[in-house]
Amino acid sequence: MDTTKIIYQKLSQLISDTPVAMATIVEVKGSVPRELGTKMIIHPYGQHYGTIGGGCGEADVIRAALDVIETGHPKLVQVDLTEPISMESLGVCGGVMTVYLERWSA
Amino acid sequence: MNQTDELLTRFLAAIEADEQVALVTVIEATGEYRAALGQRALVWADKTYGRLQLGSLEAEALQNVQQNLEIPKPKPLRYQRPHGQVTLFVDLHRRAPTLLIIGAGHVALPLAELGKLIEFKVVVVDDRPKYANPHRFPKADQVLAQPFTEMLREWPINRDTYIILVTRGHSHDVEALLEVIDSPAQYIGMIGSKRRVKAVFELLRQEQGLTPDQLSRVYAPIGLDIGAESPAEIAISIMAEIVNIYRTGRAVSLSDALKANRRLPLHPARV
Repeated sequence: MDTTKIIYQKLSQLISDTPVAMATIVEVKGSVPRELGTKMIIHPYGQHYGTIGGGCGEADVIRAALDVIETGHPKLVQVDLTEPISMESLGVCGGVMTVYLERWSA
Repeated sequence: MNQTDELLTRFLAAIEADEQVALVTVIEATGEYRAALGQRALVWADKTYGRLQLGSLEAEALQNVQQNLEIPKPKPLRYQRPHGQVTLFVDLHRRAPTLLIIGAGHVALPLAELGKLIEFKVVVVDDRPKYANPHRFPKADQVLAQPFTEMLREWPINRDTYIILVTRGHSHDVEALLEVIDSPAQYIGMIGSKRRVKAVFELLRQEQGLTPDQLSRVYAPIGLDIGAESPAEIAISIMAEIVNIYRTGRAVSLSDALKANRRLPLHPARV
Protein backbone atom coordinates (compact mmCIF):
# COMPACT_ATOMS: atom_id res chain seq x y z
CA MET A 1 0.00 0.00 0.00
CA ASP A 2 1.35 3.39 -0.94
CA THR A 3 1.17 5.08 2.46
CA THR A 4 3.26 8.07 1.33
CA LYS A 5 0.77 8.88 -1.40
CA ILE A 6 -2.25 8.50 0.87
CA ILE A 7 -0.94 10.73 3.67
CA TYR A 8 0.26 13.51 1.37
CA GLN A 9 -3.06 13.48 -0.52
CA LYS A 10 -4.84 13.84 2.80
CA LEU A 11 -2.44 16.63 3.77
CA SER A 12 -3.14 18.46 0.53
CA GLN A 13 -6.91 18.25 1.13
CA LEU A 14 -6.69 19.42 4.74
CA ILE A 15 -4.44 22.43 4.18
CA SER A 16 -6.91 23.95 1.73
CA ASP A 17 -9.06 24.56 4.85
CA THR A 18 -6.61 25.13 7.67
CA PRO A 19 -2.93 24.85 8.51
CA VAL A 20 -2.09 21.47 10.05
CA ALA A 21 1.01 19.81 11.49
CA MET A 22 2.72 16.70 10.20
CA ALA A 23 4.51 14.45 12.70
CA THR A 24 7.18 12.11 11.35
CA ILE A 25 9.14 9.51 13.31
CA VAL A 26 12.71 10.42 12.32
CA GLU A 27 14.72 8.36 14.80
CA VAL A 28 14.00 5.22 16.82
CA LYS A 29 15.97 3.52 19.57
CA GLY A 30 14.87 0.24 21.07
CA SER A 31 11.38 -1.12 20.64
CA VAL A 32 8.76 1.38 19.47
CA PRO A 33 5.26 0.83 18.10
CA ARG A 34 5.81 2.21 14.57
CA GLU A 35 8.73 2.28 12.16
CA LEU A 36 11.00 5.11 11.05
CA GLY A 37 9.20 7.45 8.67
CA THR A 38 5.71 6.80 10.04
CA LYS A 39 3.56 9.93 9.79
CA MET A 40 0.54 11.45 11.42
CA ILE A 41 -1.35 14.63 10.61
CA ILE A 42 -2.41 16.75 13.58
CA HIS A 43 -5.45 18.88 12.91
CA PRO A 44 -6.22 21.98 15.00
CA TYR A 45 -9.83 20.88 15.60
CA GLY A 46 -9.01 17.29 16.40
CA GLN A 47 -9.55 15.64 13.01
CA HIS A 48 -6.17 13.92 13.21
CA TYR A 49 -5.15 11.41 10.59
CA GLY A 50 -2.91 8.36 11.01
CA THR A 51 -1.07 7.31 14.13
CA ILE A 52 2.49 7.22 15.38
CA GLY A 53 1.67 4.57 17.93
CA GLY A 54 -1.05 5.82 20.23
CA GLY A 55 -0.89 6.01 24.00
CA CYS A 56 0.63 8.67 26.21
CA GLY A 57 3.49 9.33 23.76
CA GLU A 58 1.05 10.32 21.06
CA ALA A 59 -0.87 12.65 23.37
CA ASP A 60 2.36 14.56 24.10
CA VAL A 61 3.12 14.77 20.39
CA ILE A 62 -0.36 16.14 19.64
CA ARG A 63 0.08 18.83 22.31
CA ALA A 64 3.44 19.87 20.90
CA ALA A 65 2.06 19.78 17.35
CA LEU A 66 -0.78 22.18 18.20
CA ASP A 67 1.95 24.56 19.31
CA VAL A 68 3.75 24.14 15.99
CA ILE A 69 0.53 24.88 14.06
CA GLU A 70 0.32 28.09 16.09
CA THR A 71 3.93 29.28 15.77
CA GLY A 72 4.96 27.77 12.45
CA HIS A 73 8.33 26.81 13.93
CA PRO A 74 9.27 23.19 13.27
CA LYS A 75 10.54 21.19 16.20
CA LEU A 76 11.90 17.80 17.28
CA VAL A 77 10.35 16.07 20.26
CA GLN A 78 11.58 12.99 22.09
CA VAL A 79 9.01 10.39 23.03
CA ASP A 80 10.24 8.16 25.84
CA LEU A 81 8.44 4.84 26.09
CA THR A 82 10.82 3.33 28.64
CA GLU A 83 8.78 3.91 31.77
CA PRO A 84 8.02 0.80 33.83
CA ILE A 85 5.10 -1.31 32.70
CA SER A 86 2.06 -0.92 34.94
CA MET A 87 -1.65 -1.55 34.71
CA GLU A 88 -2.19 2.08 33.78
CA SER A 89 0.17 2.12 30.79
CA LEU A 90 -0.11 -1.19 28.99
CA GLY A 91 0.97 0.38 25.71
CA VAL A 92 4.57 0.77 26.83
CA CYS A 93 7.08 -0.59 24.31
CA GLY A 94 10.41 0.17 25.93
CA GLY A 95 12.04 2.40 23.30
CA VAL A 96 12.66 6.06 22.57
CA MET A 97 11.68 7.83 19.39
CA THR A 98 12.29 11.27 17.97
CA VAL A 99 9.41 12.92 16.17
CA TYR A 100 9.75 15.88 13.81
CA LEU A 101 6.84 18.31 13.80
CA GLU A 102 6.26 20.82 11.02
CA ARG A 103 3.45 23.05 9.91
CA TRP A 104 1.95 22.73 6.44
CA SER A 105 -0.32 25.39 5.01
CA ALA A 106 -1.56 26.49 1.62
CA MET B 1 3.74 29.90 1.66
CA ASN B 2 2.80 29.40 -1.99
CA GLN B 3 6.18 27.80 -2.43
CA THR B 4 5.19 25.04 0.00
CA ASP B 5 1.88 24.50 -1.67
CA GLU B 6 3.55 24.28 -5.06
CA LEU B 7 6.06 21.78 -3.70
CA LEU B 8 3.29 19.57 -2.34
CA THR B 9 1.43 19.75 -5.64
CA ARG B 10 4.56 18.75 -7.54
CA PHE B 11 5.32 15.96 -5.09
CA LEU B 12 1.82 14.50 -5.49
CA ALA B 13 2.03 14.80 -9.28
CA ALA B 14 5.36 12.93 -9.26
CA ILE B 15 3.87 10.20 -7.05
CA GLU B 16 0.87 9.96 -9.37
CA ALA B 17 3.24 9.52 -12.32
CA ASP B 18 5.04 6.80 -10.31
CA GLU B 19 8.37 8.61 -10.41
CA GLN B 20 11.17 7.78 -7.97
CA VAL B 21 11.18 11.02 -5.97
CA ALA B 22 12.23 12.14 -2.50
CA LEU B 23 10.87 14.92 -0.32
CA VAL B 24 13.82 16.18 1.71
CA THR B 25 13.30 18.21 4.88
CA VAL B 26 15.85 19.98 7.05
CA ILE B 27 14.80 18.66 10.47
CA GLU B 28 17.79 19.92 12.42
CA ALA B 29 19.92 22.98 11.73
CA THR B 30 22.24 24.80 14.10
CA GLY B 31 24.80 27.58 13.92
CA GLU B 32 25.17 29.17 10.53
CA TYR B 33 22.58 26.80 9.06
CA ARG B 34 19.87 27.83 11.52
CA ALA B 35 17.74 29.56 8.87
CA ALA B 36 17.43 26.29 6.93
CA LEU B 37 15.32 24.55 9.59
CA GLY B 38 12.08 23.29 8.08
CA GLN B 39 13.12 23.93 4.45
CA ARG B 40 11.95 21.35 1.95
CA ALA B 41 13.03 20.27 -1.52
CA LEU B 42 12.10 17.57 -4.02
CA VAL B 43 14.84 15.42 -5.46
CA TRP B 44 14.76 13.18 -8.53
CA ALA B 45 17.72 11.33 -10.06
CA ASP B 46 18.17 14.08 -12.65
CA LYS B 47 16.60 17.22 -11.17
CA THR B 48 15.54 19.02 -8.01
CA TYR B 49 12.84 21.47 -6.99
CA GLY B 50 13.05 23.97 -4.13
CA ARG B 51 15.99 25.05 -2.01
CA LEU B 52 17.18 23.91 1.42
CA GLN B 53 19.01 27.20 2.06
CA LEU B 54 22.14 25.36 3.15
CA GLY B 55 24.54 27.72 1.40
CA SER B 56 27.83 26.03 0.57
CA LEU B 57 26.47 22.67 1.77
CA GLU B 58 23.42 22.74 -0.53
CA ALA B 59 24.92 21.13 -3.64
CA GLU B 60 26.65 18.37 -1.69
CA ALA B 61 23.51 17.56 0.33
CA LEU B 62 21.22 17.37 -2.71
CA GLN B 63 23.77 15.21 -4.49
CA ASN B 64 23.89 12.84 -1.51
CA VAL B 65 20.11 12.52 -1.60
CA GLN B 66 20.28 11.71 -5.31
CA GLN B 67 22.83 8.98 -4.58
CA ASN B 68 20.44 7.53 -1.99
CA LEU B 69 17.40 7.45 -4.26
CA GLU B 70 17.74 3.74 -5.02
CA ILE B 71 18.08 2.73 -1.36
CA PRO B 72 14.72 1.37 -0.19
CA LYS B 73 14.86 2.92 3.29
CA PRO B 74 17.06 6.00 3.25
CA LYS B 75 18.50 7.00 6.63
CA PRO B 76 18.58 10.64 7.75
CA LEU B 77 21.68 12.44 6.44
CA ARG B 78 23.80 14.26 9.00
CA TYR B 79 26.39 16.93 8.39
CA GLN B 80 28.74 18.22 11.05
CA ARG B 81 30.60 21.35 10.04
CA PRO B 82 32.75 23.72 12.11
CA HIS B 83 30.00 26.33 12.13
CA GLY B 84 26.94 24.18 12.67
CA GLN B 85 25.22 20.93 11.98
CA VAL B 86 22.39 19.81 9.77
CA THR B 87 20.13 16.74 9.64
CA LEU B 88 18.06 15.96 6.57
CA PHE B 89 15.12 13.59 6.59
CA VAL B 90 14.48 11.84 3.28
CA ASP B 91 10.95 10.74 2.50
CA LEU B 92 11.16 8.50 -0.52
CA HIS B 93 8.38 7.55 -2.87
CA ARG B 94 9.44 4.27 -4.42
CA ARG B 95 8.40 3.37 -7.94
CA ALA B 96 5.95 0.47 -7.92
CA PRO B 97 7.96 -2.74 -8.25
CA THR B 98 7.30 -4.89 -11.32
CA LEU B 99 7.20 -8.67 -11.37
CA LEU B 100 8.16 -10.18 -14.73
CA ILE B 101 6.98 -13.78 -14.82
CA ILE B 102 8.81 -15.46 -17.66
CA GLY B 103 6.77 -18.53 -18.59
CA ALA B 104 2.99 -18.90 -18.16
CA GLY B 105 2.79 -22.47 -16.84
CA HIS B 106 1.39 -23.91 -13.61
CA VAL B 107 3.70 -22.04 -11.21
CA ALA B 108 2.99 -18.75 -13.00
CA LEU B 109 -0.70 -18.85 -12.04
CA PRO B 110 -0.23 -18.58 -8.25
CA LEU B 111 2.77 -16.27 -8.81
CA ALA B 112 0.59 -13.74 -10.65
CA GLU B 113 -2.06 -13.95 -7.90
CA LEU B 114 0.49 -13.42 -5.13
CA GLY B 115 2.23 -10.65 -7.05
CA LYS B 116 -1.00 -8.66 -7.23
CA LEU B 117 -1.78 -9.45 -3.59
CA ILE B 118 1.43 -7.71 -2.48
CA GLU B 119 0.68 -4.87 -4.92
CA PHE B 120 3.39 -5.40 -7.49
CA LYS B 121 2.76 -4.65 -11.14
CA VAL B 122 2.52 -8.12 -12.73
CA VAL B 123 3.59 -8.95 -16.28
CA VAL B 124 3.42 -12.50 -17.68
CA VAL B 125 5.08 -13.60 -20.90
CA ASP B 126 5.10 -16.87 -22.83
CA ASP B 127 5.71 -17.68 -26.49
CA ARG B 128 2.60 -19.91 -26.52
CA PRO B 129 -0.56 -17.77 -26.98
CA LYS B 130 -2.65 -20.57 -25.45
CA TYR B 131 -0.81 -20.07 -22.15
CA ALA B 132 -0.06 -16.35 -22.35
CA ASN B 133 -3.73 -15.60 -22.28
CA PRO B 134 -5.46 -12.85 -20.26
CA HIS B 135 -8.23 -15.31 -19.35
CA ARG B 136 -5.68 -17.48 -17.55
CA PHE B 137 -4.29 -14.44 -15.72
CA PRO B 138 -7.29 -12.19 -15.05
CA LYS B 139 -5.45 -10.14 -12.41
CA ALA B 140 -2.16 -9.59 -14.27
CA ASP B 141 -1.49 -6.07 -15.55
CA GLN B 142 -0.13 -7.38 -18.85
CA VAL B 143 -0.05 -10.79 -20.49
CA LEU B 144 2.25 -10.95 -23.49
CA ALA B 145 2.33 -13.71 -26.10
CA GLN B 146 5.81 -13.12 -27.44
CA PRO B 147 9.19 -14.88 -27.67
CA PHE B 148 10.97 -14.58 -24.30
CA THR B 149 14.20 -13.00 -25.51
CA GLU B 150 12.41 -10.48 -27.70
CA MET B 151 10.18 -9.37 -24.80
CA LEU B 152 13.10 -9.07 -22.39
CA ARG B 153 15.20 -7.12 -24.85
CA GLU B 154 12.41 -4.56 -25.25
CA TRP B 155 11.24 -4.31 -21.64
CA PRO B 156 12.65 -1.35 -19.65
CA ILE B 157 14.27 -3.25 -16.75
CA ASN B 158 15.25 -1.13 -13.73
CA ARG B 159 16.20 -1.55 -10.07
CA ASP B 160 12.56 -2.19 -9.20
CA THR B 161 12.19 -5.09 -11.62
CA TYR B 162 11.92 -8.61 -10.23
CA ILE B 163 12.38 -11.36 -12.81
CA ILE B 164 11.21 -14.96 -12.29
CA LEU B 165 12.33 -17.54 -14.83
CA VAL B 166 9.78 -20.35 -14.82
CA THR B 167 9.47 -21.39 -18.45
CA ARG B 168 8.50 -24.89 -19.56
CA GLY B 169 12.10 -25.92 -20.20
CA HIS B 170 15.58 -25.13 -19.04
CA SER B 171 16.77 -24.10 -22.48
CA HIS B 172 14.20 -21.28 -22.43
CA ASP B 173 15.18 -20.29 -18.87
CA VAL B 174 18.83 -20.07 -19.92
CA GLU B 175 17.99 -18.13 -23.08
CA ALA B 176 16.05 -15.63 -20.97
CA LEU B 177 18.74 -15.56 -18.28
CA LEU B 178 21.41 -14.57 -20.81
CA GLU B 179 19.19 -11.69 -21.86
CA VAL B 180 18.89 -10.24 -18.32
CA ILE B 181 22.09 -11.29 -16.54
CA ASP B 182 23.67 -7.83 -16.93
CA SER B 183 20.46 -5.85 -16.44
CA PRO B 184 19.90 -3.63 -13.38
CA ALA B 185 17.04 -5.92 -12.16
CA GLN B 186 16.82 -6.19 -8.36
CA TYR B 187 16.04 -9.89 -8.54
CA ILE B 188 16.62 -12.69 -11.02
CA GLY B 189 15.37 -16.08 -9.87
CA MET B 190 15.50 -19.29 -11.86
CA ILE B 191 13.60 -22.48 -11.08
CA GLY B 192 15.34 -25.86 -10.91
CA SER B 193 16.74 -28.39 -8.46
CA LYS B 194 20.13 -27.84 -6.84
CA ARG B 195 21.71 -30.51 -9.03
CA ARG B 196 20.15 -29.11 -12.18
CA VAL B 197 21.15 -25.54 -11.32
CA LYS B 198 24.77 -26.56 -10.69
CA ALA B 199 24.90 -28.28 -14.09
CA VAL B 200 23.32 -25.30 -15.85
CA PHE B 201 25.72 -22.84 -14.18
CA GLU B 202 28.70 -25.00 -15.15
CA LEU B 203 27.49 -25.02 -18.72
CA LEU B 204 27.00 -21.25 -18.71
CA ARG B 205 30.55 -20.75 -17.46
CA GLN B 206 32.11 -23.03 -20.03
CA GLU B 207 30.02 -22.25 -23.08
CA GLN B 208 28.86 -18.67 -22.53
CA GLY B 209 31.84 -17.46 -20.52
CA LEU B 210 29.71 -16.17 -17.64
CA THR B 211 31.76 -15.22 -14.59
CA PRO B 212 31.06 -16.40 -11.02
CA ASP B 213 30.21 -12.77 -10.27
CA GLN B 214 27.51 -12.69 -12.94
CA LEU B 215 26.08 -16.03 -11.80
CA SER B 216 26.08 -15.02 -8.15
CA ARG B 217 23.22 -12.60 -8.89
CA VAL B 218 20.91 -15.44 -9.82
CA TYR B 219 18.66 -16.86 -7.13
CA ALA B 220 18.72 -20.53 -8.10
CA PRO B 221 17.46 -22.85 -6.77
CA ILE B 222 14.70 -20.30 -6.46
CA GLY B 223 12.82 -19.34 -3.29
CA LEU B 224 13.16 -19.57 0.45
CA ASP B 225 13.92 -22.84 2.22
CA ILE B 226 10.39 -23.72 3.39
CA GLY B 227 10.13 -27.22 1.91
CA ALA B 228 7.69 -26.15 -0.82
CA GLU B 229 6.37 -28.90 -3.11
CA SER B 230 3.14 -27.98 -4.91
CA PRO B 231 3.05 -25.15 -7.50
CA ALA B 232 1.23 -22.89 -5.02
CA GLU B 233 3.78 -23.65 -2.28
CA ILE B 234 6.65 -23.01 -4.67
CA ALA B 235 5.05 -19.69 -5.67
CA ILE B 236 4.79 -18.75 -1.98
CA SER B 237 8.46 -19.58 -1.40
CA ILE B 238 9.45 -17.46 -4.44
CA MET B 239 7.29 -14.51 -3.44
CA ALA B 240 8.55 -14.74 0.15
CA GLU B 241 12.10 -14.53 -1.22
CA ILE B 242 11.10 -11.45 -3.22
CA VAL B 243 9.51 -9.79 -0.17
CA ASN B 244 12.70 -10.64 1.76
CA ILE B 245 14.71 -8.68 -0.82
CA TYR B 246 12.18 -5.87 -1.24
CA ARG B 247 12.02 -5.30 2.52
CA THR B 248 15.69 -6.25 3.17
CA GLY B 249 14.72 -9.05 5.53
CA ARG B 250 16.99 -11.76 6.85
CA ALA B 251 15.41 -15.04 5.72
CA VAL B 252 17.54 -17.81 4.19
CA SER B 253 17.32 -18.41 0.45
CA LEU B 254 17.74 -21.88 -1.03
CA SER B 255 20.48 -20.42 -3.23
CA ASP B 256 22.49 -19.21 -0.20
CA ALA B 257 23.83 -22.71 0.51
CA LEU B 258 25.02 -23.16 -3.05
CA LYS B 259 26.74 -19.78 -3.03
CA ALA B 260 28.46 -20.35 0.31
CA ASN B 261 29.95 -23.55 -1.09
CA ARG B 262 31.30 -21.71 -4.06
CA ARG B 263 32.61 -18.85 -1.91
CA LEU B 264 30.66 -16.23 -3.75
CA PRO B 265 29.37 -13.02 -2.21
CA LEU B 266 25.80 -13.35 -1.01
CA HIS B 267 23.20 -11.19 -2.68
CA PRO B 268 25.33 -8.46 -4.24
CA ALA B 269 22.11 -6.87 -5.47
CA ARG B 270 20.96 -6.28 -1.91
CA VAL B 271 21.53 -2.89 -0.44
